Amino acid sequence: MNESRRDFLKKSGCALGMAAIATQMHHLGAMSALAQRSISRQGSLLSGADEGYKALVLVFFAGGNDGNNMVIPIHNDASVSNYAAYSAARNTQGLAIPQASLLPISVPAIGGLSYGLHPSLGPVSGQPNNGIYGLWALGKLAVVSNVGTLVRPLTKAQYQNASYQKPSQLFSHSDQIAQSQTAVANTESFTGWGGRLSDRMTPLQPPAPNDPLIPMITSIAGSQLFTSGQTTLPMAIADSGTSLANVLNPAGFTNTGGAARKVSFDQLRGYDWDSNYIRAASDVTNLALQANNALQSTSEVTVSFPNTSIGRQLKQAARIIKERADLRVQRQIFFCQVGGFDTHSNQLNTQSNLLTQFSQGVRAFYDEMGVQGVSDNVTLFTMSDFARTLNPAGSGATVGTDHAWGNHMFVIGGSVQGGNFYGMPTANGTPFPTLTIGAAGPDDTDSNSTARGRWIPTTSVEQYASILAKWYGLPQDAPTLASVFPNIGNFDTASGALNFLL
Amino acid sequence: MFSLRRGPVNFLWLATVLFTVAPLLITAQVDPDPNSPTPVLISIEGAPRLLTYQALKSRKHSLARPSLDFIRPSGLAVMFVANLDLMEGEDAGAFRIYARDEKGRTYRFPVVDLAPTPDQPGVYAITFRVKDEIGYWPEPIARGDLVVRLSWRGLSSNELLLGYGSKGGRLSTEKNLKSSSLNDFHASESPSPDRATSALAGIGYRRSGDRRRFLEQATFGPTLELDARVRRLGLRVWLGEQFNKPYPSAAYPYPNISLKSTNTDDIALGCGPAPVPTTLEYRICIRDHYSMYPVQKWFFSEALYGDAQLRHRVAWALSQIWVISGIDTQQSSWMLAYHKALSQNAFGNYRDLMKAMTLNPGMGNYLDMARSTRNNPNENYPREVLQLFTVGRFELNQDGTLKFDAINNPIPSYDQETVNNFTKAFTGWTLCNTGCPSSATGIQNYKDPMILTNQGSNHDLTAKTLFTYPGAPFANIPACTGCTGTARDTYARNSLEQTLDNIFHHPNVGPFVSKILIQHLVTSDPTPAYVSRVAGKFNDNGYSVRGDLQAVVRAILLDPEARGDVKTDPNFGKLREPVQLLTNLARQVGIKGANASGLSDGVVVGQTTNLGQNAFNSPSVFNYYPPDNVIPGTALLGPEFKLLTTGTSIGRANFVNTMVFSQIGISENSPLGTSLDFAELQGIAASDTTSSLLVDALNTRMLHGTMSASVRSSILTAVNAIPSSNPLQRAKQAVYLVATSSQYQVQR
Repeated sequence: MNESRRDFLKKSGCALGMAAIATQMHHLGAMSALAQRSISRQGSLLSGADEGYKALVLVFFAGGNDGNNMVIPIHNDASVSNYAAYSAARNTQGLAIPQASLLPISVPAIGGLSYGLHPSLGPVSGQPNNGIYGLWALGKLAVVSNVGTLVRPLTKAQYQNASYQKPSQLFSHSDQIAQSQTAVANTESFTGWGGRLSDRMTPLQPPAPNDPLIPMITSIAGSQLFTSGQTTLPMAIADSGTSLANVLNPAGFTNTGGAARKVSFDQLRGYDWDSNYIRAASDVTNLALQANNALQSTSEVTVSFPNTSIGRQLKQAARIIKERADLRVQRQIFFCQVGGFDTHSNQLNTQSNLLTQFSQGVRAFYDEMGVQGVSDNVTLFTMSDFARTLNPAGSGATVGTDHAWGNHMFVIGGSVQGGNFYGMPTANGTPFPTLTIGAAGPDDTDSNSTARGRWIPTTSVEQYASILAKWYGLPQDAPTLASVFPNIGNFDTASGALNFLL
Repeated sequence: MFSLRRGPVNFLWLATVLFTVAPLLITAQVDPDPNSPTPVLISIEGAPRLLTYQALKSRKHSLARPSLDFIRPSGLAVMFVANLDLMEGEDAGAFRIYARDEKGRTYRFPVVDLAPTPDQPGVYAITFRVKDEIGYWPEPIARGDLVVRLSWRGLSSNELLLGYGSKGGRLSTEKNLKSSSLNDFHASESPSPDRATSALAGIGYRRSGDRRRFLEQATFGPTLELDARVRRLGLRVWLGEQFNKPYPSAAYPYPNISLKSTNTDDIALGCGPAPVPTTLEYRICIRDHYSMYPVQKWFFSEALYGDAQLRHRVAWALSQIWVISGIDTQQSSWMLAYHKALSQNAFGNYRDLMKAMTLNPGMGNYLDMARSTRNNPNENYPREVLQLFTVGRFELNQDGTLKFDAINNPIPSYDQETVNNFTKAFTGWTLCNTGCPSSATGIQNYKDPMILTNQGSNHDLTAKTLFTYPGAPFANIPACTGCTGTARDTYARNSLEQTLDNIFHHPNVGPFVSKILIQHLVTSDPTPAYVSRVAGKFNDNGYSVRGDLQAVVRAILLDPEARGDVKTDPNFGKLREPVQLLTNLARQVGIKGANASGLSDGVVVGQTTNLGQNAFNSPSVFNYYPPDNVIPGTALLGPEFKLLTTGTSIGRANFVNTMVFSQIGISENSPLGTSLDFAELQGIAASDTTSSLLVDALNTRMLHGTMSASVRSSILTAVNAIPSSNPLQRAKQAVYLVATSSQYQVQR
């Protein structure tokens, strides 16, 4: 019989150690019919030693990153939007980044035309490393362009026709974050796509005594919908400011009466489960204490990480990856976050600072993965609430932008087919949207005087996510795919335009 | 027409004020018995199986019909419930039906109708649909019994079996299920036998459990003194007293912090360039002006020791709706001006609060309205005022449930076009940098309300299409094409008032605001009936006034779903947010400075920050946690659970460990430190070598009498492992265990 998480936690109470819990956790999923099918199809997918390890690392740009100022055309080809088109939309209000300061990249998918990355993504004075710009030339950095929430592909005419289904509550932070993290845009979902991926993949891991000692998902940025599965729960821990040994370790119990106190402390979590809230709180603590036993490690990463929030988050992820053998994990998903992208005002400095922190932290992480010998096994990718309007909000020193839609994402790692743009073609035939506002702009939502330059996405969140999940090892049979990405059937996932991972 | 002026003061409360000025004359207030009767589901004769059959159109559901063995999935069925004591207007929305399958998954069946049975007075037929309305799990598999129960006013009924598609299965053997057929159940027993006598039974409001629960909901934690006062005055008079208490308390006035230059390096109006090496004077200048430190220190001092607890608590809840954050608010003086505007309106009218917040310069900065002009409009404030502060994303019924369109989709309250129009309406306002009380050269005036720029020269003069709903005021604000001078000035000012009126009268505002306030004060997942009763008071306080927050707060705290000595509904209650965890622990045990007998200095925010709640530094306008957060791995609504992760659950235990076995030490920014005061509990521990009195005292103070026998026994064993010669350590042992328990982390 398939058992719920509740069942085994209830049965296990607080007396069982982590290994026993993990065994049951394994069994609960492993016996589901779906997993059975997956196992027989995949064989020893996750068996074997280190070379089977794979990790996905999500860096979420919270607040809605302005992709329009992160990836910018440098070229002068007017047939696809050029720098002049970009500048015309933003320079008057003071938001255009000077052409000469952009970090040039040549894009094979757009005829080798030159585009530019935000200057903060390269070497920055006073920063410890050279940033992620150099990874483009190494072929380890890809851009997936014009990605966003969709229920099904949508043209401009369809968008403006009320009878076509659009994501609910477009342009609202909370809803668009939720839809990005759940990969479900037509209704509310209790689970995130990372969590559902974990639900499906956790049973494929080896059984006891080789079973993993910590959950498949780790959030280093608090409780996130992305990480919530239906049958698996994430571990959420503090960043590298706290050592792994201390991150889930309850203090005390060494003074007078400490041993007796620990006994009762553990007992109490098994009582009063007739209250669902008490039970839910006890569940979380149980999970923490189980993982704590496995995290008593003192080893440290080699590369120097910047002391920023994202730097510390990625450093903590790198520490765990370094412990992968002892933790017996073969698949891991990490959630990290950079906040503060909701730049309705003061965008130039704010975004520059945030992208610097991102770039510096990610480069340190990439280099550390190289030192650990797992560059090809770890793929880092970005998401955000949404993009921001091409048309600025305000002007001058405090200029900003408002909420928009389709946005550019980075994918970074040894397995990435980098140095190129990916994404389903926009109206101009390339993955990159046409930077024209209003009636003349084929990718803008609106045609009237209130149009601001909000790109209708051409690549949906689930198209983007499903490629990552496929690389991660998600069985590709239709029922399994649909169990993680319910609307995937509405989209083309076989297109070479999305082939950004080896 | 709508009256734009509202009078929040009404005569009843004037009368209450008159009473409370002479509290010595009052020994007791007759509060009704807070305990609702416990609903009883009727079983078939002799077996723990629900008496049920297919619903009839007539609603004449007689108990005499033969019960069905099973109900088909999606079918409409009836169940029978006795031992209710319904209020006027209390209907199907007051009930929830939960079903559990053999996997332990919980489903909720929609309650369709409630009607008295024709043949049995006091027994009601409840029509329900055998279909999960939560949608977290797939529909249960129709192959046997489910265990069903019903909850009402936070109280759970007995559990019975219901055949789902068929009868039998593993659950049929479940223990603890007892039959409760009509023959076993004596309807003649009064559902609340002591109701009539409670007022005569002794002095004051004797319901110890309910008093403590009430104070957990209405304050930052019960103290012995407050408990005694509520006992003496009763809940209603105490509320009246609190509504009129001077705020902040005399001992903790708002810090008086001057506005500084936005350039910290400014020599005359900032703190000057940072000296090398740094100096104490410089550090204090930065700390007191350019950080939230003074606000946090004041806030916790008032919470720990102040006597205007209810206003402080409600203002704290409102500050988590109308969020501004120190992350984008440079100076403490700005935040203090915001908090004053908030607290001054906390017991006033919501419409006045809306205007005060809209024109508050801290809000104007945080959500950019201060920079929004007709040529460069900014959507930030207009979008969030609709989504987060007033109307919400979807159209609501008065009970807070979603309205649906013809094809069963929720109906968005607005779209981008609406936001564009509201954006126009909110353009043209800015800081008052000349001519207002706090205006001065070289500083930005983030204290006084924002003003209209230059007679409305930055206001968008085109027409605005606002909300349309039945009776909507100002659904269309016409253009003022070519207006200049005073005509433009008047138009822009009127546009703002009209826009706020158009939002304020939207039917969503009552249920939207009421539900969030209930969640902050009482329970995470209130029944629709509870929301509806409170929203009803928001819509009309009984004197034809809409938006009276006193009436709303009173309705929330006196509702039968909030009141009672104990709540047994498994889905009743809420996780204590970190701020409440800290203040409740402090006030229930006793709180003082470090190393001394004086008071704590209130510098405690570092502790709540570790647990995900850095007071006055919310991560975004979405607050520390959203009202619609669902607990991972469950279908339970639990806003505060957003802050409970593996990391912070251990963090909570470590926080308690610090407070119980150590302290918040004295440092440059914490001149007095903070520690728990165990003197009294140590005395109790010393007086009884069995530790029973100690554990009982904590049961009363911290768990309002709900400690289960197994918890009590476990804690007693741990406490008595310490020699009775060490009563202080015994007291600490007991407090640690209660405070770290999930039973305490959850406020029920």
